[in-house]
Order: sequence, then structure tokens, then C-alpha cells
Amino acid sequence: MAKNTNKIEEEVRLKKRSNFGEVWHRLKKNKLSMVCLGFLAVMICAIVFSTWITPYDYTAQDLMSRFQLPSKAHWFGTDDYGRDLLTRLLVGGRYTLLIAILSVALGIVFGMIIGALCGFFGKWVDSTLMRIMDVIMSIPGMMLAICISVALGSGVFNTALALAVGTIPMIARQLRSSTMLINGQEYIEAAKSFGESNFRIIMTHVIPNTLAPIIVQTSLYIGGSIMGIAGLSFLGLGVQPPTPEWGNILNNGLDFIYDFSTRWNVIVFPALVIVLAELAFNLLGDGLRDAMDPRMRK
Amino acid sequence: MSEKNLIEVQNLCKYYKTPKGALHAVENANFSIREGTTLGVVGESGCGKSTLGRTVMNLHESTSGKIFFDGEDVTHPNKAQKKTIHKNIQMIFQDPSSSLDPRKCVSDLIAEPMKVMKITRGKKETEKRVAELMDTVGLARRYAFAYPHELDGGRRQRIGIARALSVSPKFIVCDEPVSALDVSIQAQILNLLQDLQEQHGLTYMFITHNLSVVKHISHDILVMYLGCEVEKCESEELFLRPLHPYTKGLLSAIPIPSIHVDRKRIVMSGEVTSPINPKPGCRFAARCPYATEKCTQELPQVEEVLPNHFCACHHVRELNNL
Amino acid sequence: MSLLEIKDLAIHFPTEEGDVRAVNGISLTVDEGKTLGLVGETGAGKTTTALGILRLVPEPGEVLSGEILYKGQDIMKLPNKEVQDIRGNEISMIFQDPMTALNPVMTVGDQVAEVILRHQNCTKTEAQGRMIEILGKVGIGSDRAGDYPHQFSGGMKQRVIIAIALACNPKLLLADEPTTALDVTIQAQVMEMINELKKELGTAMILITHDLGIVAESCDNVAIMYAGQIVEYGSLEDIFDHTSHPYTKGLFNSIPSLEKKVHRLEPIHGLMPDPANLPTGCAFHPRCPYATELCETEVPGATEVGPGHLCRCHHCGNLQKKEGVIHE
Repeated sequence: MAKNTNKIEEEVRLKKRSNFGEVWHRLKKNKLSMVCLGFLAVMICAIVFSTWITPYDYTAQDLMSRFQLPSKAHWFGTDDYGRDLLTRLLVGGRYTLLIAILSVALGIVFGMIIGALCGFFGKWVDSTLMRIMDVIMSIPGMMLAICISVALGSGVFNTALALAVGTIPMIARQLRSSTMLINGQEYIEAAKSFGESNFRIIMTHVIPNTLAPIIVQTSLYIGGSIMGIAGLSFLGLGVQPPTPEWGNILNNGLDFIYDFSTRWNVIVFPALVIVLAELAFNLLGDGLRDAMDPRMRK
Repeated sequence: MSEKNLIEVQNLCKYYKTPKGALHAVENANFSIREGTTLGVVGESGCGKSTLGRTVMNLHESTSGKIFFDGEDVTHPNKAQKKTIHKNIQMIFQDPSSSLDPRKCVSDLIAEPMKVMKITRGKKETEKRVAELMDTVGLARRYAFAYPHELDGGRRQRIGIARALSVSPKFIVCDEPVSALDVSIQAQILNLLQDLQEQHGLTYMFITHNLSVVKHISHDILVMYLGCEVEKCESEELFLRPLHPYTKGLLSAIPIPSIHVDRKRIVMSGEVTSPINPKPGCRFAARCPYATEKCTQELPQVEEVLPNHFCACHHVRELNNL
Repeated sequence: MSLLEIKDLAIHFPTEEGDVRAVNGISLTVDEGKTLGLVGETGAGKTTTALGILRLVPEPGEVLSGEILYKGQDIMKLPNKEVQDIRGNEISMIFQDPMTALNPVMTVGDQVAEVILRHQNCTKTEAQGRMIEILGKVGIGSDRAGDYPHQFSGGMKQRVIIAIALACNPKLLLADEPTTALDVTIQAQVMEMINELKKELGTAMILITHDLGIVAESCDNVAIMYAGQIVEYGSLEDIFDHTSHPYTKGLFNSIPSLEKKVHRLEPIHGLMPDPANLPTGCAFHPRCPYATELCETEVPGATEVGPGHLCRCHHCGNLQKKEGVIHE
């Protein structure tokens, strides 16, 4: 048989990598994902270490140098109060990304638990929880976020929570249907036949198999969240000026769009940062989905 | 082979509630399986054979009736009994691609039952046991960290068998274990199952629709039609002297791979009727060429027509000149 | 002249992992009104061959070489329009899975009538009449013509599919595992019906199957396929009574017999080779109990072991078992 070893056999590894190692190994092969990961890493480092990168204070106004275009002193130029745009974007990134990631994480954790419970147990558990989800879904997401924000007050965690509530039903719905699909598979029955507990079945079989589409959704939700935060800030909820945040920086810049040729930097840079961050998250999500599915391995 | 009955089933019924009414999946099943032997359960799709297997191993709860394992009543098991069942009764599934979690590698799949039941202590022991099991079922050890989708059907089914064997069960329910496989691979798996039975004294309940396979592997055969037991006897006897009209039709419908067989085919007209709220009377009456009025009114009881040969038909004696 | 003649057909699928050689130069003939059984396991290239005849090989597959002569004209060289006229009219196909081969939102009557309207120059009423007639032939009453596919059982759906295939009185029927998805008793009904209709309409058929039992009942000639090649070809008698190729022998030994009591089956060892990476020499040599060094290096040609009985094996005249047993 030696001559007939086919490709699969050659590929078989003799040592098992850890789950994380396995995913990382496969992700490394995807060049686009690695570029995105690199970009996000650089961006996050810059945000964390912003005080070492720019000498300015994000609130320091300098009315003498309003609306400067990019120069050696101000890489991204300055805004209407003469504040350094790069500094504001870096500091704003802290709030924006933190809230976005936190809100999506909250949404996913609760959405997954609810969705898995509904799909796995069905019957009254399903109808009760899903009706509650339907009620939440019937309220427009932004309105819901506004109501919760008003009730809880501003602040990083509260804003994150306000935005998360809207994503819970969407994730729960998706997970419910994929759980139902998986529930019909024989390996769930097999697991029951060895006496595995329901909790263990959900944790080891159901959730890992539903993760792939959720990962992609996550990256989309992060994008949505960034928009949501901007919306809340605009209404005076969420993050309050002068604390910068990508959404309110962009909003602020939009006021000067009539003078685009001389003040383009206050619109283009915030918009570019938001678009690039979203794009990077989306593409990384795609790559992660493929990397997490052993069937996609070539 | 001993005379002890490992599994005994009495008047077992399993009904499902559906919006249209009660679905009679298994109706009044009675049988026993001696230790170390194989009971073949044959029938067409929808006859309740898979449900019967799953009910016997308590994967689905029975509606009424009793199940004994090794003399102990396990129909409604308590916690300790559940543990005994899980440890001693295992299942091999039909479709090896859907019965294996696609995100787990071969060694994790085989080790899963052992981990759940805490049979092995520590990683080392589990690994050793997995390697032993892979040798037993003829899976090269280099596949230990491969994923199911990388392997072909035959190897996947070997994983399923290794997984079932991992807890050293006494009784294995095999639900169509070879019907998804090619003929040459099917023969390899059948041989493996027979070898394992001889080495470990395993008892099988072998569910299939393939009559030549069931004849090859079983000691006793139970023929089912729409949830009901139709005929039950030793394997050789069934093929030599089928009594029930359904069994006769079924046997004559098998295409035989030889050009020297000259036989009269009894082509059964019609198709299987619905098991939801079945009409009173013999379930087979609608397709039976010999059905009389009595057949449509009264459900025939299973009786011992010949020594150790059971059949449920009102007219079995006159049809077979007994 | 035979109805269909395939000469040296080769179909490859270029993929990232290499060239998948699904069909490797097969030649066969089908005479008018006769049935050829194409037997083989999963991945032997049976279905690809059938799709090749209709020029329906799915992407990225391509026909590398070969001629498909239907009534003397090479299908490979015909313009698309003419091939479409042949499909469903002169040559039609029955697919394996009756559950997915019908359109769920169209009544079965309309689906049958559609084919007739497409290919035959007739009015709607004529097509309706023909539809009722053909449905009657497959045992479906005219009262059910207005029903949708989901109202039919698997066996009945397969009857509808056969009705569609036979609607235009085709000269050649390609039946791809027509009864695999059905129960034994239903299979018997359907096979009986196909055989009767074939006789009545004088249709020739290529029956693709893995079940030698069905072959014994309905075929005149048999081609055994392995790894994209026909390894043995002959009449029913040649194959069943004078089995020559080791693979064919292995297939027979793998089937549990209803007549004899055997303690253990004698399966073929190992697995089907990966079609992207076929073994050198004879594709079957790694699994063959008779393989010699010659088999490893040289591809065997077709030897005529009897009149019209071809076998692709270096040793088909005198098979001698190799010492020792092959292990996987």
C-alpha cells in the first residue's frame, strides 16, 4: 500500500495541536486575514500607547491653528478648535473599540445561551424565550438603545449594554435555528447514548458547531456597534464631548463639509479610520470562520 | 454462546404524538436476545425498527411495556441503572458522517464515552486505550488526529465501532451500520463485527433492511411491518420456511446476483400505509393478496406456529398447509 | 450499427489538488433495445460517464478525448442546440434521488407535459393526453396528475420521474441507480415496471448500479468499472459464470449469499484509490491478491478472454494468489 498513500495520509499529523494552535495554524495560511490582523494589532497598539505617539492633549484647544491640513507637527491636521486630530482619533478609539467589542461580546454571550437553550430543549422553553426575543426585536434597535441609555445613564459599560440588548435577539434566532439543525444529527444522539449531560452536549457539541456563522456575524455587529455609538453620542447620550469618540469626531467634521477642499481632513480621516477598522474586522471574521472549521482545510 | 437472555423485551410500545394523531412506531414488541448472539431486525423504512432499537437502549422512553437487561427491569431506570445502561449498551449508527462530530479528531471521538463515564484515569491511560481500540477495529494509528471528513465511509464507520467498544459494553445496537457503505467495504465491516463478537462475547441487535446481510450475521431474525412484529424465528429457518405472506414477498423481492436462480416473484402491490392512527386489523391487510374480512377487523396475535417459529397472521396455517 | 458507441472516453476534473481522473478511456457499445449494466462502487466514474453522454459533465470537468457516437453521429461535435434536442427526447436520464429530482412547486402532470411540449410538435391538449397516457403506464391514475410531488411517496415519485424520462419515447434511457433510494419491495415493483416498459417501447438502457442482483435480473451486457476504467466487459453469462477479473471476483465474494451459509465473507482489502492520485500500473494492483511486479509498472490492456468478453488484467488467463495475506 506504501505507493498508494494519498494526500490525506501524508497530511496526517502525528502530534495533536491544541484547539487554539490548530486555528492559529490554519489562520496563518490566509494572507488577507493576516494583513487585517496586523492592521488591527497596529491600530490597537497605537490606541493604547497614544500618549507616547503624539505630544498633544486631546482636549487642548489652540484657536490659532484651526483647520490646519496635515503637516509635520499635526499628521492628520487639526479640527475646528485647533485640537490635534490624530490624538483625538487615537483616544477616541479607546472608547469606540472598547464599547463596540464589549457590546458585541455581551450580545453574543446572552444570545448564544438563549439560542442554544431554545434550540436544544424546544417546547415551552423555546416559546417563552423566543416570544420575549420577538418583543425586543419589534422595537427599533436605535430606539431601544436610546431608552436603555436614558434609563442607565451614560458611561462605557452602560452604553455597551444599551447596544447589546438589540443584538441579543438576532444572535439568539440564528443560534436557535443552527442548534435545531445540529440537534437532528446523529452525533447528538450518540452523545446521549453515552449518558452525556445536556449541559456538556451543549458546550462540547452544539456551540462549537454553531460558532462559524456567529464569528462572521460578530465582525458585522462590531461595525454596527461603531455606528450605534456614534448615533448615541450625537444625541448626547453615550460618550459625552469633550471626550472624543470616532462617531462624534466624524459628526463634528461633517459640519464643515461645505468647505471640503480646504477642510477635507476633518471628514476623511475619521471616516477612513472607521471604514478600515470595520473592513479589517469583517475580513478577519471571514478568515476566522474558515480557520475554525476543520472541513475547510485544504 | 450461553442460554442466558441478556435482553428481554415484553409488550413494548412506543407511540409519538403528532398533530395528526398518535404515531404507532412500535406496537407490542416481545423478544429476547441470548448473550453472545445477534438478533436481526428487518423491515422497510418506516417500520419502526430504528425506534425499537433506540427504545430498547432507553434513548427514547417507552410508552408502555417492560425492558429487562441482564434480568433487571430497566424500563424506567433510576440514576444507578442509567449508568449501567450507558456502560453496557452502546449503539453503532447508520450514517458515519452524521454520527461523528465534525469538529473533533478521531482520538477525541473515540475517547468521548470514556471521558463522560470516567472510565479511564488520566490522559495517558485514555491515550493508551484509544490506541488499543484503533488497533482492534483496524484503524491505522496515524489517523489519530485526523478529522472525520478526511476519511472515507469505511474508516468513519470503524471510528463509530471503536467509540461504541470503548466502554466495553455487553450489548450493541447496530442501526444499519453498513447500508451507507460500498459492497467491498461493507464486507470488511461485517467481518469486523463478527470477529468482535467472537472475541468479546458481544450481543448485537442488528437493524437493517438488507436481507442478505441480516441472514449472514444474525442468529435470530425479527421481521417488522409498520411497527408490528410479523415473524420471528432462527435465521436459517426464516429463509428456508417463511410463513408470513409479507416475509414471503420480501424474500422474493431481493434481487439475487446469480443468473441461475429461477423463482417466482411475488410482487406486492401498493405501498406502506401510514402508521398514524392505524386502522384496526392486520397492518399488512391492505397489501396482502390473501386478506379476508377478518384481517381488516382484528389485529392478529403473535403465536408459535412451529417450534420456536413465531408468526402473526390469521391464516398462517391454511396458507402453509400446516 | 449499434445505437450508442463510446470510444476511448476520458473525463478529467482539474482541481487544486491535481487532476481528478474520473473516467479514463472507456469504450462501450449499446445495441438497440438492449440493456447494459454499468457496475462499480462509489467514485468509479459511472455517473460521470452517463453525464458525459448527455454532455452534462459539471464544472470544472472537461472531456479530454473520445467519441460518443449516437446513431453514428458524434455527440461531442454537435452544436449545443442539437444536443438539447437530443436530451430528454432521444436520450433521457433517470436520477438516483427521487426526492430532489422533481420541482416541488409544479404539479407532476405539468412536469410531464412540459417535457412533451418542449420536444414534440404538439398542442397543449395533445400534450395533456399524452401525459395522462404515460402516467397511466407507470401506474399513476389521471386523478393524481394535479397533485404536487410532496403528496407522493418515494416509490411514486420515482414512477413520475420514469414517466418524465419516457414521455418522448426515447431511444436510450440512462438510469442512474434508479432504485437505490427505495425499499426492496418497492424496488421490485419499479424494476419490473421499467423492464416491461422497455420491452414495450423498445428502449435501450444503460443501468448504473452497484447491485449485482439487479444486474442479473435486467441486463443483457455488463461493464464492471473500477477507478474510471472498464475492467471487465461481457454478456451476463460471461460476467456471472466466467468471472475473469480479480475485482469482479472480489465483488461477488463481498456479497453475503442467501443460498449458502458462509462463516466469513472474503472482502476486497483496502479502499478505492484516490482518483486524483491513481496507483501506477494497474489501478487495482494495491488491492489485488494476485498482483505481481508487472501489475505495478504496466497498465494492462483489454484482453479478449472469450468472444466479446474483455478483461483488463495481465493475469486474467491464469490467476495465482500471491504468497501471504494483504493487510490494510
